[in-house]
Amino acid sequence: MDVGFSMSNSAPGEEPPFELAKKVIQKFVQRQVFAETKDELALVLFGTDSTKNPLDQDGQYQNITIHRHLMMPDFELLEEIQNQIHPESQQADWLDALVVCMDLLQRETKGKKYDRLNIVLLTDLNTGASADHLDVIIENLKKDGITLQFFLPFPVEEDEEGGGDADRRGPSHPGMGKGLSREQKNSMDMMKHIMLSLDEEDGLDQIYTFTNAIEQLCMFKRIERRPMSWPCQLTIGSSLSIRIVGYKAVTEEKLKKLWISVDAQTNKREDLKRETVYCLDDDNETEVQKDDTIQGFRYGSDIVPFSKVDQEQMKYTHDGKCFAVLGFTKQSLVHRHQFIGNQVIKIFAPKDDEEWPCRPSSGRWHELKMVAIVRYAYDRRSNPQVGAAFPCIKQDYECLLYVQLPFTEDLRQFTFPSLENNKKFTPSDTQLSAVDSLIDSMMLVEENENGEQVDMFKVHQLPNPAFQRHFQCLHHRAVSPGTPLPPMEPWLKAALERPEVISERCQAPLEEMRKTFPLTEVEKKKKVKTSVGSVDPARDFRILIKQKSRPFGEVCQQLTHRIEQLLSNKNTQYYMKSITCIQAFREQSIEVKKKKNTLTIFHLRKYIMIGLEVFWDLLVQGTISLFTWDCRISLKSFLP
Amino acid sequence: MAEWNAYYHNEDEEEEQEEGEQSGGDYKVTGRDSLVFLVDASKEMFIKGEDGQPSNFDMTMEVVRSVYTSKIISSHRDLVALVFYGTEQSKNPRNSFKHVYVYHDLDEPGAKRVRDVDGLQGDKGAQLAADTMGSGETSLGDALWCCANLYSDIKLRLSHKRLMIFTCRDDPHGDDSTKDRQARTKASDLKETGVVIDLMHMMKPGGFDVSLFFCDIVSPPEDESELGLQLEPCDKLDDLKKRVRAKEQKKRTMSRLNLCLGKGINVAVGMYATAVMTRKPSAIRLYRETNEPVRSKTRTFHTQTGSLLLPSEIKKAQVYGKKQIVMERDEVDTIKRFDDPGLLLMGFKPMEKLKLHHHIRPAVFLYPEEDEVKGSTCLFSALLMKCREKNVFALCRCISRRNYPPRFVALVPQKEEVDHGKVQITPPGFNAIFLPYADDIRTVDAPQCPVASQMQVNKMKEIVSKLRFKYRSDAFENPVVQQHYRNLEALALDMMAPEDTEDLIMPKVEQIDQRLGPLVQEFKDLVYPNGYNPESKPAAKRKTDTGGGAEKKPKMEVSEDELKAHMQNGTLGKLTVPILKEACKQFGIRTTGTKKQELLDALTARLGS
Repeated sequence: MDVGFSMSNSAPGEEPPFELAKKVIQKFVQRQVFAETKDELALVLFGTDSTKNPLDQDGQYQNITIHRHLMMPDFELLEEIQNQIHPESQQADWLDALVVCMDLLQRETKGKKYDRLNIVLLTDLNTGASADHLDVIIENLKKDGITLQFFLPFPVEEDEEGGGDADRRGPSHPGMGKGLSREQKNSMDMMKHIMLSLDEEDGLDQIYTFTNAIEQLCMFKRIERRPMSWPCQLTIGSSLSIRIVGYKAVTEEKLKKLWISVDAQTNKREDLKRETVYCLDDDNETEVQKDDTIQGFRYGSDIVPFSKVDQEQMKYTHDGKCFAVLGFTKQSLVHRHQFIGNQVIKIFAPKDDEEWPCRPSSGRWHELKMVAIVRYAYDRRSNPQVGAAFPCIKQDYECLLYVQLPFTEDLRQFTFPSLENNKKFTPSDTQLSAVDSLIDSMMLVEENENGEQVDMFKVHQLPNPAFQRHFQCLHHRAVSPGTPLPPMEPWLKAALERPEVISERCQAPLEEMRKTFPLTEVEKKKKVKTSVGSVDPARDFRILIKQKSRPFGEVCQQLTHRIEQLLSNKNTQYYMKSITCIQAFREQSIEVKKKKNTLTIFHLRKYIMIGLEVFWDLLVQGTISLFTWDCRISLKSFLP
Repeated sequence: MAEWNAYYHNEDEEEEQEEGEQSGGDYKVTGRDSLVFLVDASKEMFIKGEDGQPSNFDMTMEVVRSVYTSKIISSHRDLVALVFYGTEQSKNPRNSFKHVYVYHDLDEPGAKRVRDVDGLQGDKGAQLAADTMGSGETSLGDALWCCANLYSDIKLRLSHKRLMIFTCRDDPHGDDSTKDRQARTKASDLKETGVVIDLMHMMKPGGFDVSLFFCDIVSPPEDESELGLQLEPCDKLDDLKKRVRAKEQKKRTMSRLNLCLGKGINVAVGMYATAVMTRKPSAIRLYRETNEPVRSKTRTFHTQTGSLLLPSEIKKAQVYGKKQIVMERDEVDTIKRFDDPGLLLMGFKPMEKLKLHHHIRPAVFLYPEEDEVKGSTCLFSALLMKCREKNVFALCRCISRRNYPPRFVALVPQKEEVDHGKVQITPPGFNAIFLPYADDIRTVDAPQCPVASQMQVNKMKEIVSKLRFKYRSDAFENPVVQQHYRNLEALALDMMAPEDTEDLIMPKVEQIDQRLGPLVQEFKDLVYPNGYNPESKPAAKRKTDTGGGAEKKPKMEVSEDELKAHMQNGTLGKLTVPILKEACKQFGIRTTGTKKQELLDALTARLGS
């Protein structure tokens, strides 16, 4: 990164290139830190007041400082960038700085395995660079396979040949200031020369502007995992086997790290200890030692002791890794909504296998609209599954897509009331046409003027918002401790809303929907008892009296009515129930005695008159429990 | 419990985890579901069908058994009872009802109950039933009352109560109108307490006339249509099973949400999981002396002071870039919060835009909730019809619970389907398919391979056609789960050996070979070069399971200096898990986990101090 004095120059109201370049680096390092990639990173500053690099000799390679050697980025680096990197007052040759970087890469990658070496230069190109050894530099870059990226405060247009007239571009782009200086123009030519020498076709694509880069880097990196290959044999019967290799292609990715608990005071994990104790389910919660416990399982209501050893011995075992065809079936019989599990595996031919027949086996039978039903087992330790292998034909490859299907035990076959056969809910033609135009107005896939389909909302290109927010908050807390968590990033918020075009277009159809479909929220209220039911009249009676929502007399009437019903059944069971009703009646009558409500009970006499002798007997037998209350009504009043 | 679970899962984290956690099946538990089988034990039930077809009683017992075993596996907390009516003998809690025989009280089904029901099947079973219960007078009213008592005697909270009457007699009381009336009264009592009464009526000569009596007994169908009563009586075991299965499982929403089409247009929908992976249950700990289950209590205390810590005295942390970042516990929750729970309509896309391989979790089913927002069903129904007609799906943002981050789902319309017996096989509604984010899609380089010739392709097509079969999603039982329960059953009942389970997902190799005949060789001749053996090459590459592997292992030891250097450079993560494990051993660090991060944390903690 160029920290020389010209990097602090900016037009009024514009952020100086230095600040922008710093932001680019910060964002980049943040992403690396949270993605926990094993990429290593070094930071070389040029234009520094001091000089600190191994090539510093005989006044060469001056004002270039290696701030950090090649290692994995961490928060320390982020803090240093935040606090220790300031604009300085010297200028240094950016080509010299490039050489220092190349030297650093060479020294510090010794003995390390790496995929790629890359140097990123952030500069305004405002120093005169000597073109002396340009060819040697290019040769070395090529030899070591080092790629280059430039980040500049201004854009570079491709059609410009060799540093044309600065005025032609005009000061339209922020960061351009009054146009480019001569040094900048020269440097630009050199830069282009280098980039095109490294990659004739697309070399210039690796030159970016600061502002552009900041936008691109605002997202945290998506979680990337190296796909693990799973070599196996696809078998059909006992004698046909085909070599295959599987890769997990789609799976619900989780954050790699879990939260750990720490002591709130010291923030130390070691200060906490979690302990699990076991206790009997008795009143004293008697603790028992872990060693005094054994393993068991529930079999319905039974609890079966079942030791690990026995379990290992008796458990289902199988031959391990397997991808065996059980048969082929019509694709239409395998329903998309019955896919289970949380992954899709792509099955290919092994790379090194020339004579691979999976192509005929995977490809082309899709013409039959058939899928293979297979037994799949990842390895000996994992449970076998049943699943479907769909042939997938793409322009540049063919493969099988494997998805797990449910077992009998997994299915919940719920039935739901029919919607079409129910007149109450059948939408009218007006309603249907309102939905029709709503759908038309909200189509996310459209044809553009070239007749190509454009999808304006691709979920599979959106980074998981939960991860983005998680890292945003973690980052905030790490660099600004003690401050509340920040609001969600505006770009993320916007990404989770309806595209603006759609929002606008659907306004009128939505208004129509509002008119044609009356929707009323049902008020949730507790079920209120309003009458004495037949199941437990005594309880209902008590509740109603307590609620006082109905006149006492009315409730008594209802109870009496129930008693009448019960007695009409002429059955001992019903008599008993009647007696509990009378009991409730008495108890409540006593409580509200001031109202002197005793009249209804006398109606009972009439039942006794109509010859319910058994009931009478029961009543009399029960008198002790029935009339041990502080009794205001004498037993005599019941007598005929 | 955590470590016991871990015991069953893959131990080596270097290899990719095969099975992740399941998101579909978590319900909020509000109470127990209960189901009473009320079975007619009259002589008519025991009459065998033509050609040795099982009697109605036999079929019923078969169904009861299958419900018992499926409850044990998938919902052992549900309560089930088996009650006979029209018996000669009586047996019920207070013995207050004649001709009602409670065979199994309302309880969780267990091994013994399954055996009991087995004992009632076949000729022997019929004999046993005759000996113990006999057939006698019928009073459905008493039987229903007895069942009502079973429900009310339960001290647990019951969330769903269902009663199924199995009979082949449409007029159980003959001319006794008093008994009819009693039964009606009792049935309405039961219904009032929230018991749903279903009729599983079976074939009898002359047909079963529901309108004679039972129409007043059973609960009206949910949709207030006449569909329920138009059902023909069952004469096949499979049909009966299907009917019982359809009713037996309580539909329970995972959550109730608003589907928001635009400001103020909220349709209430319920979300249902229709396919949930059943796993082997986790083990429970028992006290060695008594075999009674023990409860585990986990507490967190301070290492130095030994005092128990309140939740407020604990914070949460993660380490990134060698820095520990600390948050309050409620901050951890708020990070996950994006919006209130609900479905937000983003727009529509043509069906072909839904990619087959965009699968990350089992789908859920959506059905309107008229009870929450009146008018929901009509709008939902209109949306369903139009989406089908236009062949589009609705793309929605879905926040399924409080503090759940958003996911996007494709709402795919599904038309109702019924089978020949008018039993619903596919319900009407939307299937919500969860879509992957960029993070969920891995870059896989597709290897190049030669194009197959038309001859080769045709040969494969022949093979495919030979092995055609009709796939049914309920055709395959899980051999692992089944074996586990057979084992438990054997132990619970002191059987000599567990019953055999058939592994239904094993390829029927002999049949396949036979069907293919010479096709295999013909295909091989067309495709493989002479002498090519597809099984030979990878064998050499494959890791050998036996002892030989040990020799090949690279040197695992790393010196302390090297480790420290790695730590300083932040490159500790570059070491492989076996090396890290070895290093932990070297320093005598006991690690509970096998996850790479845990090993790293442990080493960093040790070397850093």
